[in-house]
Amino acid sequence: MKVLPTIAPPPSGKTNINIYLDADTNITDWYSNILIPAFEKEFTVYKVNLINVKGVGNGTGTFVDRLVAAKQTGADGQAEIVEFDVRGRPETVKDGLWLKLDASNVPNAKGVLPAAVVSEYNMPYRGSQVLLAYDSAKIKESDVPRTFPALLEWVKKNPGQFTYGRPDKGGSGGNFVIRAIHEVTGKDPQKFYASVDPDPALVKDLDKAWELLRSIHESTYDKGSYPAGNQPALLLLANGSVNMVSAWSDQVLINIDKGVLPPTIKMAQFTDLPMSGGYAQYAVPAGTKNKEGALAWVNWMLKQDRQVDVIKSLGGFPALKWDQFPKELQTQFNSVVADTIPTWPGGKWDAERNKGWYEKVATNIKQ
Amino acid sequence: MNQRLLKSTFRTLRRESFGVFALIALVLLIIGPLTTVVMWAFAERWRQPSLIPTQWGLSYWTETLGRADVVSALPASVLLATIVTVLSALICLPAAYAFARIQFPARQGLLLSFLAVNAFPRFGLYIAIAVVFFRLGLVGTVTGVVLIQLVNTLLTMIWIPTSAFQGVDRALEEAALDVGASRLRVFFQITLPQVAPALAAALLLTFVATFYEAQGALLIGLPNIRTMAVLMYSYINNQIVVQYGAVISMILWIPSLLLLSFAQKFLRGNTVSAGFGV
Amino acid sequence: MLAPRPSSQWRTWLAGYALIAPPLALLALLIFFPAGQAIVRTVMLDQDAGITSGLTLDRYLNFFNDPIARSNLSFTITVTLITVFFQFAVCFPLALYLRFSTSRIAGAVQVLALFPLFVPGVILAFALIRYLGPRGTVDTFLRVVLNYEGFVTPYLRPSGIVFALTRDHIPFTILVLTAGLRQVEDSVIEAARDVGATSLRAFVQIIMPLMQRPLLIVFCLNIIGTFGAFTIPYLLGPAAPQMMGVYMQQTFSEYLDRSGAETQAVISFVLCALVGALYVRTVTRRRGERA
Repeated sequence: MKVLPTIAPPPSGKTNINIYLDADTNITDWYSNILIPAFEKEFTVYKVNLINVKGVGNGTGTFVDRLVAAKQTGADGQAEIVEFDVRGRPETVKDGLWLKLDASNVPNAKGVLPAAVVSEYNMPYRGSQVLLAYDSAKIKESDVPRTFPALLEWVKKNPGQFTYGRPDKGGSGGNFVIRAIHEVTGKDPQKFYASVDPDPALVKDLDKAWELLRSIHESTYDKGSYPAGNQPALLLLANGSVNMVSAWSDQVLINIDKGVLPPTIKMAQFTDLPMSGGYAQYAVPAGTKNKEGALAWVNWMLKQDRQVDVIKSLGGFPALKWDQFPKELQTQFNSVVADTIPTWPGGKWDAERNKGWYEKVATNIKQ
Repeated sequence: MNQRLLKSTFRTLRRESFGVFALIALVLLIIGPLTTVVMWAFAERWRQPSLIPTQWGLSYWTETLGRADVVSALPASVLLATIVTVLSALICLPAAYAFARIQFPARQGLLLSFLAVNAFPRFGLYIAIAVVFFRLGLVGTVTGVVLIQLVNTLLTMIWIPTSAFQGVDRALEEAALDVGASRLRVFFQITLPQVAPALAAALLLTFVATFYEAQGALLIGLPNIRTMAVLMYSYINNQIVVQYGAVISMILWIPSLLLLSFAQKFLRGNTVSAGFGV
Repeated sequence: MLAPRPSSQWRTWLAGYALIAPPLALLALLIFFPAGQAIVRTVMLDQDAGITSGLTLDRYLNFFNDPIARSNLSFTITVTLITVFFQFAVCFPLALYLRFSTSRIAGAVQVLALFPLFVPGVILAFALIRYLGPRGTVDTFLRVVLNYEGFVTPYLRPSGIVFALTRDHIPFTILVLTAGLRQVEDSVIEAARDVGATSLRAFVQIIMPLMQRPLLIVFCLNIIGTFGAFTIPYLLGPAAPQMMGVYMQQTFSEYLDRSGAETQAVISFVLCALVGALYVRTVTRRRGERA
């Protein structure tokens, strides 16, 4: 059965680094065309094998299931690096599936932005934030809402012109819903980090967020037809079905660049408390065969050049603290990158958010 | 005589008026949405609500065909689907014959049990299967992917042929046996022609379903084996640049259309008892 | 066939079991084993609560007490029944036509009807969003050319799921129905066709009994396929209510509730098995008449 052409084994003397992503083509192109050739030139003993598992099943989440299976049998999981936020599967952390990543094995980790760190088993390497994207040809800049209550008012006054994605289908909708949650819980994102398991009293408070979101349910696009993902939401903006959506900043930029969105699309952020953002996180399986290769890659990605490239090539945020960059770069990109992006603990809180939203906001059942 | 001719012409026209109607409806229904895919494949830029791309070009074709993973995945996918379809036919067709023609206890229950393949959701099962496959060292191997895709074909490859074998006119078979034909000859000249269209349908469905199966291939095959289906999903699902996906989809139509024109002969089928010259 | 003597009956049984053994073994290892584990988990008491053994039906009671779950289940059943109805309404006349006609038009119709087979759900969904979605091809065409503004898109509505799943199942339905029709003798078809032009009842009485098996198999497999559909309802359907396929995936990976998802899976499976039993009974029924 060896007749099938498979991905060629690494040339003699080289070891594979299998990297699994759940990413858009702009990210995979960045890896294939820029990162991997540069890395392989610098580290000649490694051969990087990029695998994008987006769109099949649950993306890298499905692949993590396979890693769990591999661990159960003690077999090689055939993965060195997985782009995966381990908070989404807390039991994998408990079971010791992942390698601890810190300055002891990833020296450049000491420069990493503390706000970007979500777990000691993850290493952030690029970030982005969610904001409002609107069509400036249809909405005057002065009319763009700058606070959450102002947005709710705007949506009610302009029925059918705003939408956000379903919170479990992509961060653009997910972080919008989180912003509603922050709104009703005293605008204090830190509250949600108090304990590992969601605090029942705080969970109860989410009901107030569902009330807020339910109050605009009928006024969103097509009376509460929430698109199933980041890109489907942007497509409604692109074809003029709506004039405002919540969206990832980097995806808006790429969509304008690729001609999907018209150049009249502009972005705005709430001034009182921005919508949260997120950082793409690397995780390294503890049982990986090529630990050195995995760590070498993660460390290399946190070098200054690569992090500047995150801004320049991707329109994203670097994961390093600003003092790690030269002065002129700091001033150049200061306007693009916010100092602090609110974050959200994810994991079981995601489950609470998604379940609550589906049951109390999107539901067809009268409350 | 004249009247009969008139009548049959009228009938043909009536029939074909349905055909013409069906053709138009199908073009709108089937071809309509697909023109979108075709236009995207040749679009450099397409900003809605424009009806056609705002800028045409071939750059995504050259880029897609230049991707190493695409180039190696296409033959891998065709070969995998062929192996799975052949193996599936080898193990399932005899079983289908047995279900249709041989009486044995628990036959109904066993036939029903194949339903579990399609009616029980996979995501839970695949993890358990992965555990078994890791033990057997089958993860990342061709054998592993073949096995997991093979199990997905069981329902189609058993249920449809079982129904066909059961529908065979046994009076013809027994008549042939009575005049001294051997069992083998009866099978090949009487039974097989009757079930051929159904078998062709089952084979075609199996091949295509395997060709586009992605989740099993992903979970068991990666990182060594990458199929077109896995690539296609990652290039189109929730993507900003959909052109790669559109191009891949169109590339996949070429083997599909070849297969379809080949299968057409069998699907249109010969009629009952053709070739039986007693 | 003679009435089998006991020893030859054993041999017949053995032959039967030998022939079905290979696929059955594969099924047992890769499906029954893990599915059995999943089913057992749905009736076990929660292990996290410190209790290691004991049976409970709580998860099933919870499912049927949950208004969201009930609404999703009844939505799935409704969508499935409507979709299967449309699948038949579109495909049965087409299959009959393909069986009767040998013209070139029929050839073209067949190729067209089978083509969706090669367009997987994700491409179909992507194409339909651009074709039938808001400001899509059809909408824009109606606006610009006919100056008609009232187009209601099926995107993110139940009708979107019904439309896409109907279209998705056309090739399968046509394939199996025409294959079944080809097993009907020409002379019978001729006779049926002659009366069929004048009397629907005669047609129904002649053709329908002969079509029973293929109709049933298509009915069963379409119900199962539609009931468990994932990609199309995920991308084209409304946020609520949801089809069971989407709901299960969500419960499993978004609500982190594995046993809840498995309970939903078992309930769906039992419903599908009830439909499947219909087919199995028909196919394995001993034929009454012998030549």
